[in-house]
Amino acid sequence: MSRVGVPTRWRQAGVLLLIAFRNLFASRAKTFIVGGIILFGAVLVVVGSSLLESIDSGMRRSIQGSLGGHVQVYNARSKDDLALYGGMMGESDLEPIEDFSRLKRALMAVPNVKAVVPMGIDQAMVSMGNLFDMALARLRDDVRGCAGSCAGVPIVEVRYEAHKEHIRRMAMLLREELRGARAISDERGRDAADRARGWADLGRVNGDAFWDGFDRDPLGSLEFLENRIAPLSLDGAFLFVRYVGTDLDAFQKAFEGTEIVEGTPVPKGQRGILLGKLYAEDWLKLRTARRLDKIKDARDLLHKRIAKDEELQRWVKENQTETRDILLQLDPIRAEEAKYRLRRGLRSEEADLQKLLVQLFATDDRNFDERYKLFYSQLAPLLQLYTAKVGDTITIQAPARSGYMNSVNVKVYGFVQFKGLEKSGLAGIMSLMDIQSFRDLYGFMTAEKAAEIRKIKEAAGARVVSRESAEAELFGSGEVVAAARQTAIDENRLLGAGRGAQRKEDLFARVYSQEEIDSGVAKNAAVILKDPRRMREAMRDIVAAARREGLEVKAVTWQQASGMVGQFVTLARLVLYTAVLIIFAVALVIINNAMVMATLQRVKEIGTMRAIGAQRRFVLIMLMVETVAIGLAFGAAGAALGAAIVWLIGASGGIPATNDQLYFFFSGPSLVPRLGSSSLAVSLAIVLVVSIASGLYPALIAARVSPLEAMQSED
Amino acid sequence: MAIISVRDVTKVYKLDKTEVHALRGVSLDVLPGEFLSIAGPSGSGKTTLLNLVGCVDTPTGGTVEVDGKDTRILSERALTDLRLHRIGFIFQTFNLVSVLSVFQNVEFPLLLQGGLSSAERGKRIGGLLDAVGLLEHARHRPSELSGGQRQRVAVARALVTRPPLVLADEPTANLDSQTGATIIDLMRDMNRKDGTTFIFSTHDPKVMSHASSLIRITDGQIVAREAGDVAGGR
Repeated sequence: MSRVGVPTRWRQAGVLLLIAFRNLFASRAKTFIVGGIILFGAVLVVVGSSLLESIDSGMRRSIQGSLGGHVQVYNARSKDDLALYGGMMGESDLEPIEDFSRLKRALMAVPNVKAVVPMGIDQAMVSMGNLFDMALARLRDDVRGCAGSCAGVPIVEVRYEAHKEHIRRMAMLLREELRGARAISDERGRDAADRARGWADLGRVNGDAFWDGFDRDPLGSLEFLENRIAPLSLDGAFLFVRYVGTDLDAFQKAFEGTEIVEGTPVPKGQRGILLGKLYAEDWLKLRTARRLDKIKDARDLLHKRIAKDEELQRWVKENQTETRDILLQLDPIRAEEAKYRLRRGLRSEEADLQKLLVQLFATDDRNFDERYKLFYSQLAPLLQLYTAKVGDTITIQAPARSGYMNSVNVKVYGFVQFKGLEKSGLAGIMSLMDIQSFRDLYGFMTAEKAAEIRKIKEAAGARVVSRESAEAELFGSGEVVAAARQTAIDENRLLGAGRGAQRKEDLFARVYSQEEIDSGVAKNAAVILKDPRRMREAMRDIVAAARREGLEVKAVTWQQASGMVGQFVTLARLVLYTAVLIIFAVALVIINNAMVMATLQRVKEIGTMRAIGAQRRFVLIMLMVETVAIGLAFGAAGAALGAAIVWLIGASGGIPATNDQLYFFFSGPSLVPRLGSSSLAVSLAIVLVVSIASGLYPALIAARVSPLEAMQSED
Repeated sequence: MAIISVRDVTKVYKLDKTEVHALRGVSLDVLPGEFLSIAGPSGSGKTTLLNLVGCVDTPTGGTVEVDGKDTRILSERALTDLRLHRIGFIFQTFNLVSVLSVFQNVEFPLLLQGGLSSAERGKRIGGLLDAVGLLEHARHRPSELSGGQRQRVAVARALVTRPPLVLADEPTANLDSQTGATIIDLMRDMNRKDGTTFIFSTHDPKVMSHASSLIRITDGQIVAREAGDVAGGR
């Protein structure tokens, strides 16, 4: 046994490679079939994992930056898991964290915790004013403006008359609408009496007598219109809103992705709501305008064409048929102005506004951009595009935990969106509200409310009555009655305390201290970490710190907290890996088969090598070099091809997000995959493992070939 | 001292349920420098005897000593090493590695051995290819050569490690008689020049006639050992 010199080793390795490559070249068909499978697998790994990594990092950025933070904490007794973006069954049912300040104190003691933001996510119903209310508000301004009589002030009078005329026309249209509804409704139904009264009221407003008498009692007439007629209008019904009640100041500091697109932040410590921008677009915007926006997006971003897309054609058609909302908004003065502007813009002689609108919205691919501009520059300034605007007060209603309805009025300070999730239907519809209003809606006693109730109790002379003696106290003796009589009820005081308007103003102006904001209920809390890489460790610390404070909490990652949405990447990864696994399992079988066959064909050659002195190990390595060479060569080619595909996708602007879900996953209008060095390394590693695994068996067979095979005289 | 010593060797193959007695008690000594031919009809056991002597197989009974080593007690690794360093093989069907060139085929055993520098290898291979008359074909693949040329490459490959013993199993069976004669002459030359021991099997009387000594084998037994016709044989 001689020692093998270094140069000879290289030469030996060179011969091994030479034999391997020449054999591969000699059986090209086999090589290309086996290589093709490996190549496909490698491409899939590289492209798939690049896409997934990009989605993952995009979602990480947008979820962490919008609502999730790094870790979410909630009451460990909760039945459901926290789902920040909603689950299958609506909002998750969480046990409340009764005093957030305790949790905050405990968590801020954890060294890795940077900020803790209280949250209460829920759905509520919101009622915006309808078109009738909008028109009435304008008329009320006129009435207030000229204090009694407007006669003699020409401009104001013209406007006042126009507004009156506008409302009269709306009432007429409303009666026509309701006539249709009456035809199909049951006269003896539950609300029959209400409906009959409404119908009579409408009849009165549609008569000349009401309008002739309007100027004599403008305020009384307005009252009648507002209370009896406006509610009959079918539009402006309740809408759902999804909100997070939070410490708005802390929220905006913690979540840098928060952008206020219109309006201002809610002043520190005050009550208020920032409506989700996308929510406003989808639900509060004039539907005609919304449809124009959607057509524009589809044309510009998705390169669709009206001529070829049925959905776009439907929207164009709906815009032409549903001009009523626009017509109703326009009082006679504005209607004239609109007519003038449209005639000029469309170069038309048409005298009827509705027909002009139909002309405006009869768009095709050629004139769309021009019409879109015409709508927004000429018509939109005359309209109120959104049913809620900055400065409005909206009423939000929600069932409290105990089941009865609570409602609060909040002022709209602005519209909000999250960077990366601007058009995501899942995240973009989220509105931000102050936590005090959330607590009111949620039905948990705020310190303030408790104080107010105490005051009312004092005023009413109520006292605590124990359960056992309740009956006796209430009905048993005359003394109690006498006692009650003694406490004269001060009606003025009670009414004063409870008078809606005044109390509302108080609440809006009230500035809550940080302590007031913190001490109270929250449903969950987002935790921002200083070092997000040490998330697991931080989660353990958080649970332990809360336990020391006597609070049993659950800490979950932002991924778990985002519910099904957060599981998407995990799911997609599972699908990808399953596909990769199947492909490589198939590859394994095929390569194994091909190499076994190749080995059997070369038994004589291998036997010869063994006879003239090649050790088993040499033969084993020779065969392994062959499979690994195929694997590496085609694996590298596949990885390169995958990299090229990833680059091409990026260069062509990425994969467009064609719907809301994709928009969320892509964290933007398109997904531009980035090639991670990890995906390249992973694909090569997989290929290497697979080729070694599939080459091992044939190589072992080859190593067992007897040198006797060389001696067989027949081929 | 004999280079090969075979004592009372039997070899039994099992084919399905029947036993084939390929060798039935063979004893033989081969001295260094012999040019020995094993003759016999096909199925007589001459290939089996060569396989045992060539360390690619081990006997059922008796002992085979090659270069003083009992092949029955050697491990598979040691047998392979013995083949690599002490024995050269020439096969009936040439058995060249089809994807390697003439030069690379001859170089192959040297690479397995290791130890020689590239220049030393080149020199030795060049000399051998010159000796077998194939120097200008060094870069050709086996498929580009005739049968006789291929067998000459095989001869060069068998001799490149300078083994004391070369075994050839029917080296001329797949060649025409003219070419076969040149191969035998070539082997004979090598035998004379370097004193390499050659053992080859054949059933061709003309080939046998070149041997320095001849063993006749029939039904697994040596029936005769006789000196060959060739002048100068021992």
